Amino acid sequence: MNNDLVLKIENLTKTYKLGKRDVQPLTNLNLEVKKGEFTAIMGPSGSGKTTLLNVIGCIDKASSGKVLIDDVDIAKLPESKLYKIRRDKIGFIFQNFNLVPYLNARENVELAMELAGKFKGQRRQRAKDLLATVGLSGREQHRPQRLSQGEQQRVAIARALANDPAIILADEPTGNLDVTNKQEIVKLLANLNQKQGTTIIMVTHDEQVAAQTQRMLYLSDGKISEDKQAQKETPKHSKENPQE
Amino acid sequence: MGILTRATKNLTRRKTRALIVIIALSLALTLVIILPPSINAGKATTQTIINDLNNNANFIKSTVSAAATEIDCSLPTQFNLPPPNATGTYHVTVVQPLMNESYYSNLTSIPDVNNVVPILNQDEYKDNYPVYLYGVPLDNASLLSSYPSLLPANITEGRNLQAGDSDDIILEEHLAQQFDVSVGGTFNILGKNFTVVGIEGQEALNATAHATMSLTDLQALTNTAGQETTFKIFVDNIDNVETVSARISSIYPTMQVSAGLSQVNSAQELQTSIDEQVQAAQNNLNQIQSSGLEEISIAVVADAAIILFIMLYSVRERTKEIGTLKAMGASNLTILGQLMLEGVLLSIIAAIVAIAISVFVAPTIANLLLPHSIESATFGSTGFSIGRNPGGYTPISVTITPETMLLGLGTAVLLGALGSLYPALKAARTRPAEAMRYE
Repeated sequence: MNNDLVLKIENLTKTYKLGKRDVQPLTNLNLEVKKGEFTAIMGPSGSGKTTLLNVIGCIDKASSGKVLIDDVDIAKLPESKLYKIRRDKIGFIFQNFNLVPYLNARENVELAMELAGKFKGQRRQRAKDLLATVGLSGREQHRPQRLSQGEQQRVAIARALANDPAIILADEPTGNLDVTNKQEIVKLLANLNQKQGTTIIMVTHDEQVAAQTQRMLYLSDGKISEDKQAQKETPKHSKENPQE
Repeated sequence: MGILTRATKNLTRRKTRALIVIIALSLALTLVIILPPSINAGKATTQTIINDLNNNANFIKSTVSAAATEIDCSLPTQFNLPPPNATGTYHVTVVQPLMNESYYSNLTSIPDVNNVVPILNQDEYKDNYPVYLYGVPLDNASLLSSYPSLLPANITEGRNLQAGDSDDIILEEHLAQQFDVSVGGTFNILGKNFTVVGIEGQEALNATAHATMSLTDLQALTNTAGQETTFKIFVDNIDNVETVSARISSIYPTMQVSAGLSQVNSAQELQTSIDEQVQAAQNNLNQIQSSGLEEISIAVVADAAIILFIMLYSVRERTKEIGTLKAMGASNLTILGQLMLEGVLLSIIAAIVAIAISVFVAPTIANLLLPHSIESATFGSTGFSIGRNPGGYTPISVTITPETMLLGLGTAVLLGALGSLYPALKAARTRPAEAMRYE
């Protein structure tokens, strides 16, 4: 696989049973994503966007085809190895944030690092830094229910970045947010991509949100029907605060 | 923040629910903690009762069988009212007519008689206090060892009389108290000093205060040399008691002949009664064991079931959270570990509460749930009574020792792990994609 590629999908097909009939949300799908790319996946409901994201994120299995993340074909890996890929290579951002309700913001971010076996001192400092990166300094001790939806999504972004994953997978990250928060979250993701070179694959219905990315993929009938490169600057890969 | 912190935090997030579950678990665990030592205590109490019954039965059997071959012969008593003494006090005396050596010779010649033992009884007064004097032949050591019933049975202080004793006396405890005499002291009766060698325990509340000495001493003291009031006749076999009694009555028609045979029937009656008591105690023992085990099983199953259902509910409620954890890279083992730890933690907290409850309510619960230990009843005409609380019940006495507490805690850990195993496995095996879709 090309060194610039972080993800390569070849002839990916996903079939599952819905009652008595077979449903095929993904059919012979091919895709390559380069390191540092900010990609939006768009398409009508049922076009297979979330299924694609789940297969890339190792939380769903491909029926056939290859899915290579950093040269490792995850389609062939058993569950006993897949959890390590999810832990080390993938960072998830969900529409509903999916924070652990009984842990505070810092603990939610730390949790991802704890699962990766990082030491307490190391993970505490990084959690603090990441929360500062997403603009939540001083809110570390707040539990999710005491944070606004925008703040909760920021915690989720910090958590997704915790183990420095190869790819951030964001499933409708702005779907539950108001206009202001939506703009801020997209700006935050764009800044992370531009200044830290984070590879982000984001499913969205929102054209305005998608317009902030470098590449827009349109999915229909389980295949990529359109692949549009936006006229945007390439990432600077700086370590500056993406909030700035 | 480790797995333990996460488990603790999750338990405390729904405080009311956790509290209700802990109360329910602690009640079940209280039984699990209390019942095993209670069963042991109940068994020990019942076993002690069985042992008491058997010991007493053996004692009674040996006493009665010895007495059964004994026939007491004496002439009918006479009442004597002598003139008042110097202080003007009348002393009514019961006079036991004396028998001479010819009686002894005739009685000894009766077939099947092993031994004839002469006894002298005399009612006297010491400082206006009635004293019943009892003279026993102390010149034959083998006779005393063959028939221990000749000597006082219940020596509480000092020693009993023995062959060769002279000028020695055993005082019944009331007599010793009345005249403030103890072992080693001197007791003067009818102008002669005797050394007190032993104190005999009270036979019965209304027993006459009596003193036992050598037959020779008593004969000398009362000027009745060669005379006796009673002959104790020992027959060779229990089957010959009636024949010998009849022969005595034919030789001496006016003689009062009292055979111990009637005690054999009492002994048999007593034996039957004791056997019934032992059987009842044995049944009680079995019942304690079976009831206790049944109750422990119910408590254990209830405890594990509570954990199982609450953890199943928790897993169902947290499906999305479990999916998120898996999406973040949690292994099946991590999920399994966290959920089992939550179950164990819940059980440990409940066990601590249960231990605290057990310390205070163990005896009450034990006596409420386990069959009581039966104490022996009194035995009809013989008047014997056995056990600490004849005719009643002995409550089970149980204490919660540190070992019991540790055992309870260990059981709680085990039940917590067992009860949460299935829900934890179910959660660990959940496919992340399915869990994420769960609403």
